[in-house]
Amino acid sequence: MFEDVLAFAALPLTAAVVFTGIHTWFGLQVLRRNVVFADLALAQVSALGATVAVVAGHAVQSAAGYAYTLIFTAVGALLLTASRGLARSVRQEAFIGVLYVFATAATVLVIDRSPQGAEHVKKMLVGGILSVTGDELLKFVVLYSIIGAVHWVIRRPLLAASADADGRSDIGKFLVWDLIFYLSFGVVVTSSVATAGVLLVFCFLIVPALIGNLFSSHVGAALAIGWVAGATASAAGIFGSFLLDAPTGAVTVVAFAAALVIAGAIRAFITASATERSRNRRVGLQTGGLILSLLVGLSGAWVVIAPAGDHPILAAIEMATGIGPDRFMTAKERADYLEAGMVERRHKAEIDLLYDRERQSRWQGNELTADEIRRIGSMQQTLTEMGRGERFVVDYLRTRGRERERWYIGLPLAAAGLIGAAAIIRMARRAR
Amino acid sequence: MRVVATTSDLASLAHAVTGDLAQVETIIPPAADPEAFEPRPSDFAKLKGASIVIRIGLGYDHWLDKLLSRHGDAAVNRGGAGYVDASVGVPLLEIKGSRIDPTQRDGHAHGLANPHYWLDPANAETISGGIAEAGILLAPQMAGKLIANRDGFLSRLKASLMEWERLLAPHRGARLIAYHNTWPYFARRFRLNIVDVIEVKEGVAPSPARLARLAAIIREQKIRVIVHEPFEPEEASQLLARRTGAAIVKLAPSVGSVPAASSYLALFDYNVGTLAQALSAASN
Repeated sequence: MFEDVLAFAALPLTAAVVFTGIHTWFGLQVLRRNVVFADLALAQVSALGATVAVVAGHAVQSAAGYAYTLIFTAVGALLLTASRGLARSVRQEAFIGVLYVFATAATVLVIDRSPQGAEHVKKMLVGGILSVTGDELLKFVVLYSIIGAVHWVIRRPLLAASADADGRSDIGKFLVWDLIFYLSFGVVVTSSVATAGVLLVFCFLIVPALIGNLFSSHVGAALAIGWVAGATASAAGIFGSFLLDAPTGAVTVVAFAAALVIAGAIRAFITASATERSRNRRVGLQTGGLILSLLVGLSGAWVVIAPAGDHPILAAIEMATGIGPDRFMTAKERADYLEAGMVERRHKAEIDLLYDRERQSRWQGNELTADEIRRIGSMQQTLTEMGRGERFVVDYLRTRGRERERWYIGLPLAAAGLIGAAAIIRMARRAR
Repeated sequence: MRVVATTSDLASLAHAVTGDLAQVETIIPPAADPEAFEPRPSDFAKLKGASIVIRIGLGYDHWLDKLLSRHGDAAVNRGGAGYVDASVGVPLLEIKGSRIDPTQRDGHAHGLANPHYWLDPANAETISGGIAEAGILLAPQMAGKLIANRDGFLSRLKASLMEWERLLAPHRGARLIAYHNTWPYFARRFRLNIVDVIEVKEGVAPSPARLARLAAIIREQKIRVIVHEPFEPEEASQLLARRTGAAIVKLAPSVGSVPAASSYLALFDYNVGTLAQALSAASN
């Protein structure tokens, strides 16, 4: 099992680090150009190309499939290059948004001709970094090395073009560099989106670059910081998905978001100047305290107003302290409450037992007759209904408990939270 | 008579029962994922003026209710003579789908039970009975022809079923992993042991920890075959196959999912033949 875990983690982690390597560089330029959503637009245009290829009867990985994708990406790159001219009258980002929604809608329309369309669209969004193969990884390394080397050689004009993103200069001045940037960007994004999906590629592109920019305005230093942060977040995401037993792509996106929050905290509370640190600490404590106080206060008020509603914060407090609604029940109610919970669990176990019996009979011993199957189904339904009955009793008695609890727990919580919030606001005003 | 079925399997059975007495149309295109299907404007037109509407039920084609209430005649709405819920009378499996605690559902996002009951060919007798009954109610003058059509189909089905069972008999109790929980009825009919499924929650990719557990199960229990459907994402199955050496076998969940599964009987010819071949190759 441990070997499997390592085997399943090694390639995705290497792929994530490789993706971080090239995307951080592009991300830094994307941030300088203020075209944060250009990658989504380009990825969607290339996805449109891949979709047209699929509907035309070519596999996405075939030569024809790549040709379709590259041609569409090139058209997307041309449109984005031309959009710089728009930046004088409207924001370029607005044009990029229109390109994105158009490409998405066109993909849906094209995919409508293909029976397996929904799956294709979902795959482009979520990707499948977990199943990346060694051969695919090698292709990425070769492709990104070539693009990286070319960009290294022409880094000065590229950075100059991205620094003049607001369109002050004549469009012709940076036309070639813009076109090279968007074309290579399109090739990178097209290849990475097919493996990692749109959501994760957006993270690889933007989060490490943002973290790098938080700590340095020098491109080289920002790149190095972004690489370290991106690799760390990738490792946390992939190993986190093993620990949490959750889908890798989604956990990695959350890990990148967490990395950004942590980097922001380090920037505000550790690496800032002494005066800034002290101000940030004060503002941070006040904001955190205010949010916590409001949450507690409103949760307490909600218990008072609607004791029968959902109370996630109160439930967390109950779990932490062991003081639950059963403390506020009469002896008879408490006995019924505990018994109903126990009977409900017993019904669940009986349903599972019946399920296992039917499942075993599919291939072991004598086959169950249709009537025996119906009888099992009927018993499962009955037990489900009885279980619901017990759940109703549990919910009803919990509400009764909470109706009393609201005066002893809800009201003090509401008062403490709201007084705390008022005190924090007053302190903040005085400090000003 | 115009008959509209939500799936190609029900349409094939309706065609077997009605023969040339009716024009049969399908709403979900063959080879599409019925659980991700969204109706289009052309589907409204199909329901208008339909004499019989046949559905899988059990929440599988839940979108039909809205379409019927807006575009179907009273006779094809729930309770009408032309409304056929094909699940009625079928011995249903995995009724624990509707659990006390909805967060504990496993395998399926459907309502009452596992809805893939057409994948047990023995259930075709009940399904075709419901279709014939609706036809006779609506057009009593056609009763003789409908009954004769159904009897002819059932005798062909019986002969085929014996052959399918003979083909899979050597593999009784064979352990399989399936991508999606589509096959319990098929497994029951042909005495197969589907040990686990890869996709636990509909449309959510399996976690790496789950894949590692499955890899361990595949090795421990010497499972040689992973059952996959044409429209399902292949990455997780391929990853497991690469790690464990198990073979991926693509089975058709519905008529038209693969070109060879052109009718209800051809669906099982294809599935049974493909699986028997894969299991024989694995045991060799």
